[in-house]
Amino acid sequence: MNTYYATNLLVYAGVDIIACLALNLQFGVSGITNFALIVFQAAGAYAAAVLSMPPSSSPDYSFQLYVGGYNLPFPIPWLGGALAGAALAIPVGLVVLRKLRSDYQAIALLVTSIIANTVITNARTFLNGAAGLALIPQPLDTQIDPRSDTYSYFFVGLTAVAVAVVWMIAARIVNSPYGRTLRAMRDHELAATALGKNPVQLKMTVFIVGGAIAGLSGAILAGYITAWAPSEWLYPETIILFAAVIVGGRGNNLGAILGALLVPVGFEEVTRLLAAARLRGRTGWLTGRCSSQRTSTGASRACRPWTAFRSRCHEGRSPA
Amino acid sequence: MTIFEAAFGFGLVSMSVIAIAAVGFTMQFGITNMINLAYGEVMVSSAYVAYSLNRAGVSIWIGMIAGGIFGAVFSFLLNRVVYAPFQRKGTSYLGMVIVSLAISLMIANILLPIVSYNSVSYAEHAGSIIRFGGVVLTVNQMIIIVLAVALMVGIHALLRYTRLGKAMRATAANPSLARNCGIPTQRVIDMVWLITGALCGVAGVVAALNSDSFAIASGGGFLITALAAAVLGGAGQPYGAMIGAVIIGLMTELTAAAWSAEYKEVVAFAILVLVMVLRPQGLLAKRGALAAAG
Repeated sequence: MNTYYATNLLVYAGVDIIACLALNLQFGVSGITNFALIVFQAAGAYAAAVLSMPPSSSPDYSFQLYVGGYNLPFPIPWLGGALAGAALAIPVGLVVLRKLRSDYQAIALLVTSIIANTVITNARTFLNGAAGLALIPQPLDTQIDPRSDTYSYFFVGLTAVAVAVVWMIAARIVNSPYGRTLRAMRDHELAATALGKNPVQLKMTVFIVGGAIAGLSGAILAGYITAWAPSEWLYPETIILFAAVIVGGRGNNLGAILGALLVPVGFEEVTRLLAAARLRGRTGWLTGRCSSQRTSTGASRACRPWTAFRSRCHEGRSPA
Repeated sequence: MTIFEAAFGFGLVSMSVIAIAAVGFTMQFGITNMINLAYGEVMVSSAYVAYSLNRAGVSIWIGMIAGGIFGAVFSFLLNRVVYAPFQRKGTSYLGMVIVSLAISLMIANILLPIVSYNSVSYAEHAGSIIRFGGVVLTVNQMIIIVLAVALMVGIHALLRYTRLGKAMRATAANPSLARNCGIPTQRVIDMVWLITGALCGVAGVVAALNSDSFAIASGGGFLITALAAAVLGGAGQPYGAMIGAVIIGLMTELTAAAWSAEYKEVVAFAILVLVMVLRPQGLLAKRGALAAAG
């Protein structure tokens, strides 16, 4: 098996596991239907991108417009991504989680997701609009050649460490008295309130922690595929993660991981193999990583503007 | 300020389009308790039905009627085949939202191989231009406005003066009491899905006609504006949805004139968020849904 394909799959699995753990914390354990989860992932990805990229005035980057550009070394973009996710969760949570009934919360978050995408797509000077950011530096790419197999294994290792840390945090939260409180709130909010728990405060906390975790997943993804654009985070992406958490068993961290391996990774890779069997020899499914990652953006990304499933790699071909 | 006068004209058209969509959406919610997030996709499907007829050389107005019929049948089947069985099983409101979201994704992805994701537009002459002072409208836009007014009056008459309308209001207020009083609520709900589906289909065609082009991805935008108008006016209230449509239609076009056309939907959303922050109790008030307002 091609190294690229295998490591590519492992990194995506790691990113999906982290995102599913965040969603499980919010939706599975606490009952917050966060239809905007992908926006937090996107915030983390954009934050990591502008933290690690040089300013847009520098010669190699002048074809795109973006704010910031701080050229910071490796761990900071990832931490910044997590912070961005958490920071975004505060205003959104304050608007959505305080008074609205649960079905309105879900709709408000869904609308947030669609509108955030519209705004970023149209505000070209902020994060380069629809074309998105490209040439995002990879973690430690000055130390190890990012095109080598060693780097692929190294990135898988980094992702695995992130998954382990997130897993430990999530497990601590779920298996603690605090986790029991969250489950009590999910199952019977009125009763939990009667016992002196403050549901708004609990929801806000979980929303922020989940936002930070989702932001981290975005930072990892942006550092791996080296490009990030609005078409990467259309709202159907959130629905895939919901499917993963529901299939795996909501409220159970192990279930979230299983779901992440089954739905976004398993189903999509199986269907990819089906397509490959049909078009044997023509498609580049074994080449794994994006052919567009070293070019600017645009054309290859425009080929699948609206599909439910995340386009794993921008292979620059129309859907089969 | 001629640009604002012109924007006012566009505002009249878009409020007409939004009103048709929002009244259908809000009646579905008010009477059947169903937040149907697939509404935008049904609109797009109907727009494509009209498009295929239009391509075959049929006038867009006949295409619109076909779109309305398609929307009615489609919505009716959607309820009978998908939503009603879930509701019978006692799925929560939230569960129903997820189901309708799943349906909207399915419709979009089924449409994708049939019509492809490219934008298309109707081949219809815009008609000659009519001026009222600074307000400039094409004949097509006039027809849309007149149509919307006629539909609103029709809905008003239906709810106020017919037995069916009375039965609908009773079903909205208290379904089990309505059933005990001898109202065939099942048939009433079927009629609601047919009527609101027809509104949805017509709204899809006029929305597509009013925008330069449309694609499968337009469904999200259609849904959001209808949703914003419906929620603004008080969910489940047809008259509220009409008021919401007027506000959102005017506001979006005036901001487009003053600022940038790309932010139309953002303005609709900002209004929605403001309502949710400032008047959430208005959102929570499900009681009295569809009661005759004032």
